Amino acid sequence: MTAAEIVVAKNLTRVFPMSAGPVTAVRDASLRMERGDYLAIGGPSGCGKSTLLHLLGCVDTPTSGTVTFEGRDVGALSDSERGRIRLTRIGFVFQRFFLLPMLTAWENIELPQSEAGVPAAGRRERTRALLEYVELSHRADHLPSQLSGGEMQRVAVARALANRPALLLADEPTGELDEETGEHIAALFDRVHADGTAIVLVTHNAALAARAKQRLAMRSGALEGGARDSGLDAR
Amino acid sequence: MRSLPGFGARGSLLAGWLLVLLASTSAFADSAPADILVSRQLLAKAHLSIGDVVTLAADSSGTRARRFRVAGVYEPTPDPMRFNVERIEARLHLDDLLQITADPANPASADAVSVINVGLQNASDPASVRSFARTLSARTPFIYSESTRDSDNYTFVVIDRFHAAIAAVTVIGSTAFLLALMVIRAEERKETVGVLRLIGISRKTIMTEVVVEGLLVAIAGAAVGVLIAAGAQSSVNRFFQARYDTTLIFMRISARIALRSIAVAVPVGVAAGAVASWTLLRRGTSALVRR
Amino acid sequence: MTAFALAWRTARRYRARAVLAVVGVAVIGALNFDMLLLSHGLMLSFADLINSTGYDIRIAGGTGLALSRTPLDNSTALMNEIAALPQVEAVAAMRTADAVIGKGRGAQQAELIGSSDAGGLGIWKPVSGADLSAPPNGAVAPAVISRPLSDLLHLTPGAVFTLRARIGDSLSAMPAVSLRVAGVAEFPFESQQAAIVATTMEGFRAAHGGVLNDQATFMFARSRRSAGPDAAAAAINRLRPDVHAFSNEQVIANFGRNAFTYFRQISIVLSTTTGVFSFLLVATLLTVSVNQRLGEVAALRALGIARRRIAATLLWESALLVGIGGLFALPLGELLALVLDRILRGMPGLPSGLHFFVFEPRSLALHAAVLAATALVAAMYPVWLAVKLPIAQTLRQEVVS
Repeated sequence: MTAAEIVVAKNLTRVFPMSAGPVTAVRDASLRMERGDYLAIGGPSGCGKSTLLHLLGCVDTPTSGTVTFEGRDVGALSDSERGRIRLTRIGFVFQRFFLLPMLTAWENIELPQSEAGVPAAGRRERTRALLEYVELSHRADHLPSQLSGGEMQRVAVARALANRPALLLADEPTGELDEETGEHIAALFDRVHADGTAIVLVTHNAALAARAKQRLAMRSGALEGGARDSGLDAR
Repeated sequence: MRSLPGFGARGSLLAGWLLVLLASTSAFADSAPADILVSRQLLAKAHLSIGDVVTLAADSSGTRARRFRVAGVYEPTPDPMRFNVERIEARLHLDDLLQITADPANPASADAVSVINVGLQNASDPASVRSFARTLSARTPFIYSESTRDSDNYTFVVIDRFHAAIAAVTVIGSTAFLLALMVIRAEERKETVGVLRLIGISRKTIMTEVVVEGLLVAIAGAAVGVLIAAGAQSSVNRFFQARYDTTLIFMRISARIALRSIAVAVPVGVAAGAVASWTLLRRGTSALVRR
Repeated sequence: MTAFALAWRTARRYRARAVLAVVGVAVIGALNFDMLLLSHGLMLSFADLINSTGYDIRIAGGTGLALSRTPLDNSTALMNEIAALPQVEAVAAMRTADAVIGKGRGAQQAELIGSSDAGGLGIWKPVSGADLSAPPNGAVAPAVISRPLSDLLHLTPGAVFTLRARIGDSLSAMPAVSLRVAGVAEFPFESQQAAIVATTMEGFRAAHGGVLNDQATFMFARSRRSAGPDAAAAAINRLRPDVHAFSNEQVIANFGRNAFTYFRQISIVLSTTTGVFSFLLVATLLTVSVNQRLGEVAALRALGIARRRIAATLLWESALLVGIGGLFALPLGELLALVLDRILRGMPGLPSGLHFFVFEPRSLALHAAVLAATALVAAMYPVWLAVKLPIAQTLRQEVVS
């Protein structure tokens, strides 16, 4: 593993036991993400994109294969250690935003920092900066129910960046947004990437995928092809 | 017993005394002693058997002691007023009892009883029973007569009210919780309801669906509740009967009680669902579909 | 943001269900609190009643049951012997009979009490007028009557009325005697509407035609402070093994063992039932609430929020609902206790000074303990659901649903 590598996945397979028979959601997938990478993974619904994202993000554990995050074998870590990685080194953006409805925009962004033990002054400064970053300083005290879909997703992105993660994982971030709003989110991701955060994006949105530096397709759980100039391997 | 005009009556005389069981033997020693019945509890406590001869006296020094044969054992009629009292008792013929308890210095005591019970032939009419008691009181001013049907002051009416009050409080508390659950359920269906309103389904139709669904769930729930109570009743009765060594029934789910429970539960259940749904339907359609 | 703050925000966000849950806990908690009051209420009330009199020893004859009314023979000699004990400060005897005031349709049944002590050794509490120490007005003995009797027959201090004693085992009719109302009093050991006439022993004898055997129905004593009731009772028992002397404490313990055990049992059963009920209701509410928010919880877990913070938030949610509801349960419980006490005091023959629901600090402590246990146990399953949920699967289901 090199210093630039953030996450390395080797021969990942994830099988879900179902009553009608086991389902292989991810089949022997390998990839490597380095600092500055911006990868978009596309594919038909049910091909295993989200499952792959969860495996990369230490949310799920593979049936076989390994995930190494910044040199650490994720499979050998305890649940709390994986949680710590998710808190401080990875940021998640979900299709359905998943903001806490009882907290304001400010408080939603502050929450992960509080969990990470950032002092109050530091939290205030960071939260203010992030709200400015996503151009929502004027909506800091608004509850999610008072925000539009695009605004909620921008708050979600700010929340994902709260603890300065090395890697941002986004699962269909524009899935519930209209085209114009989706364009704004895409522009935001461009900025995040430009500022040094690696991004893995799962999306059906061709326009969004086109903005990524690397693109991979997934079909029936297996990664297909790849942009060779990035040094990505996909089997 | 001479009947009062207008009433047919039959009576019984009862005297209750504290006697002392001095001894028991398991064989006849002399001419056949008189028969007595003993309570199950006395039989067990004094290790008696049917056929045993026992000596009963007015006090522990053996005053006016007499020997009796245990002719049988009976289960004391459960007395709710005395259910915690150990029923160590026996039944004698009145003459036998008075021979032990009567004070020879007081001739009147040989003819004294504690209570005279009168069974009237037209006992089903409470007014008539009370009238008999009043007439009897007027004729025997130094003897207190009352109708046992006078229910106003009955202890059990009071206990019944007590239980009813507790039941009412329980219903109020559980209604609050039920409403809370229904509010949550209504929130879960916010989007579904919003979509229905969007496509033109009227509030009335949605409310009808909610009420019908609520009715079915409430009836099922009430029925299950009655079944659970019926199951619990045997546990409650067994516990208290064992605790107090009595055959008294402490809890009984009668058809009337079951119907009353269902009659309370079903409207409460339906109303809770309807109220919760109405709070949702009152909102604008756009507010319902918006995340 | 602390777990408590998150829990508070959640309660405010879902205000309607939180308020309803608090109301539910308050009502059921009030009932639970009342059952705790009931469990010892009668004992405490009886103890208050008996200790508020002027005596601390009760002397009984016959079988030795503390509350029995077996007559004590040769009561004068017995009283003198007991009074002579150095441990005893005062002795009083009382006897009772049935009586009738007036005649014909307006005749009023009453209980006649003859007391050797003018103040009844504290058995009755004066409301108006004087006690029996007022000198007799000629041949008319003084009487202290109960308030219900005073209201019924419009008798006030100074009024004269006639009374005829009824002897249960005699066919003789007693002569009517006149008594003068010296005072009106509460008789807390008698039922609420009881018609009582207390008079001197001389008045009692006169009501029996001047012929009375030397018996007492009750005998009480007051111990000297230096000796105490236990020593005095023991001295009486040594002096006269044919009678039984009980200190108030022993009488109270006897009462506790034998009287109204039904209410102790029912309080245990209902306390348990309401406790289980509260647990089920709060647990159900929290579980349904968590199930509704599984996506949120999964997202928080995905973001790296630790299980313990999620668990702590849910525990605080439970504590808030039960804690706030439990606080409201106290005044509600006091109010309900008044209502239930009033219902139960309608029982015939119950001493008017006896209450079923009596506050003691122990009940408050138990109430708090039950609530704390309820909050903790009710949150266990929802906490388990939240901390154990499979994050990826839950996120997937949220998207699909």
